[in-house]
Amino acid sequence: MEVEVDEKELKAAGAEPLPDGRRGLRIHGWEIETRKLSILTSSNLQLWEEKLQTSHLPEMVFGDSCLILKHVDSGTRIHFNAFDALTGWKQEALRPVEVPAAAQWKFRSKPSEQVILDYDYTFTTPYCGSETIEIDTEKHGREEISQGGTYGLHWDNCEEKIDVVSLASKEPILFYDEVVLYEDELADNGVSLLTVKVRVMPSCWFLLLRFWLRVDGVLMRLRDTRMHCVFGVGENPIILRESCWREATFQALSSKGHPSDSAAYSDPSIISQRLPVIMHKTQKLKIPGNL
Amino acid sequence: MSDLDRQIEQLKKCEPLKESEVKALCLKAIEILVEESNVQRVDAPVTICGDIHGQFYDMKELFKVGGDCPKTNYLFLGDFVDRGFYSVETFLLLLALKVRYPDRITLIRGNHESRQITQVYGFYDECLRKYGSVNVWRYCTDIFDYLSLSALIENKIFSVHGGLSPAITTLDQIRTIDRKQEVPHDGAMCDLLWSDPEDIVDGWGLSPRGAGFLFGGSVVTSFNHTNNIDYICRAHQLVMEGYKWMFNNQIVTVWSAPNYCYRCGNVAAILELDENLNKQFRVFDAAPQESRGAPAKKPAPDYFL
Repeated sequence: MEVEVDEKELKAAGAEPLPDGRRGLRIHGWEIETRKLSILTSSNLQLWEEKLQTSHLPEMVFGDSCLILKHVDSGTRIHFNAFDALTGWKQEALRPVEVPAAAQWKFRSKPSEQVILDYDYTFTTPYCGSETIEIDTEKHGREEISQGGTYGLHWDNCEEKIDVVSLASKEPILFYDEVVLYEDELADNGVSLLTVKVRVMPSCWFLLLRFWLRVDGVLMRLRDTRMHCVFGVGENPIILRESCWREATFQALSSKGHPSDSAAYSDPSIISQRLPVIMHKTQKLKIPGNL
Repeated sequence: MSDLDRQIEQLKKCEPLKESEVKALCLKAIEILVEESNVQRVDAPVTICGDIHGQFYDMKELFKVGGDCPKTNYLFLGDFVDRGFYSVETFLLLLALKVRYPDRITLIRGNHESRQITQVYGFYDECLRKYGSVNVWRYCTDIFDYLSLSALIENKIFSVHGGLSPAITTLDQIRTIDRKQEVPHDGAMCDLLWSDPEDIVDGWGLSPRGAGFLFGGSVVTSFNHTNNIDYICRAHQLVMEGYKWMFNNQIVTVWSAPNYCYRCGNVAAILELDENLNKQFRVFDAAPQESRGAPAKKPAPDYFL
């Protein structure tokens, strides 16, 4: 079931759907696209394990799924994918969190030879998106020339805030989608989920990349990155990016009188306000001029 | 037509039974299950199925591929409930078939057949939603305590939901477990339902969660040798291709929930064994979108902030 977007609405906003059955649209010089595909096959999973130098990846890696926002004139691509997110996980390499049953397990008789695995099975990642510049070269076709930096893709800290009030206004949504990048059930000890949602309105695009972790009985962690880009302000578009990390233990929540059963914490958007903020920053990216 | 046959027909249409019917069905099921061994003997030919997780319409695809019960003899390796939309209908259909044809279908317990797990992962909420009370959940979870822990096919193939336990060397040790209880947080019974094979250890490994065993190739080799079995057949882990051999064909994972959680895009498999224990994996896809009443693929636009 495709969501019906009024063609008139698209036209009035100067937008058009992407051709060839691709999901997404072109609007104000941006091409915004989502791809949603199956989880990685066992052989691709193995390839990723080799590339990432790990022997463990989430149970469900939607390795070919992504969200891409491309500013056509400058070749700037803001994109979201599981590989880069897992690269971030590998680098951050947090210490594993013990589940409640671990306390009892310490008293179990041990097998004579036992290896204790110590990778971060929660797949917590500091990932807040990827950016590259792609330019058309006549001889070689499309070429990816930079991973930010070199050609002036640089996020600067700033004081501005994302204008939540304007985002709350009910202007029509021309394009909406949600892409799961990876997910793990922590062997039925909770959930680890990385998703990105996008909505495109006549005046702007807005997205939310969310890492959501619940280790049942132990801990909840929410790492949100929001990006907002208002169309048609100045020559070069500016993207605002706000990252907000929240975290709380079940123990801390129950001491504040909140429920402590996992079933009460299935939807992060409902409970996020209960989790204290541990990191917050706002940055902006000025899209460079035409290359 | 007997009441039971009528109930089976009704469940095959994905219509749940009345609460009083569930209660009566569960009482009959207990009488059968209480007699079963912790290592239930199963004769070949038999078709082995892995996790279903409430994906009722996909289980119907499974029966299309594998044939109907009782014509086909089935062994289900647990995890009937949670995560999918139709745990009630899925479990009750399997249970009704068990009561109707006790020698043609074997159900063993998965880690989701537990009070604690079903309260977090969907079955409890589904019962409450569909019946307005948790009575049906109570009847079903009481049945879970009676489900056998493993099966042994023609003395040659050991089948279990999760895997091995360092507390278990011989099948006789499994036979002595008092299984009529909620799945404990540790010990042999817990391990059988929860543990996983793991490539990067040879012997035993402990999960980084601090609970949960992982077992390597040499553990499987010695277990199979000690108990004179050909290989182990287990479920419990999602495999994109529906099944996966490990450790030189000493253990196989069978996964029977296609397009798991309605979004993974994986295929599912069942393992058919003929009377000589020749193997054939039958791989199948999820039921077509329109026939399963699952929510539309495309999410509704949402003014998220």
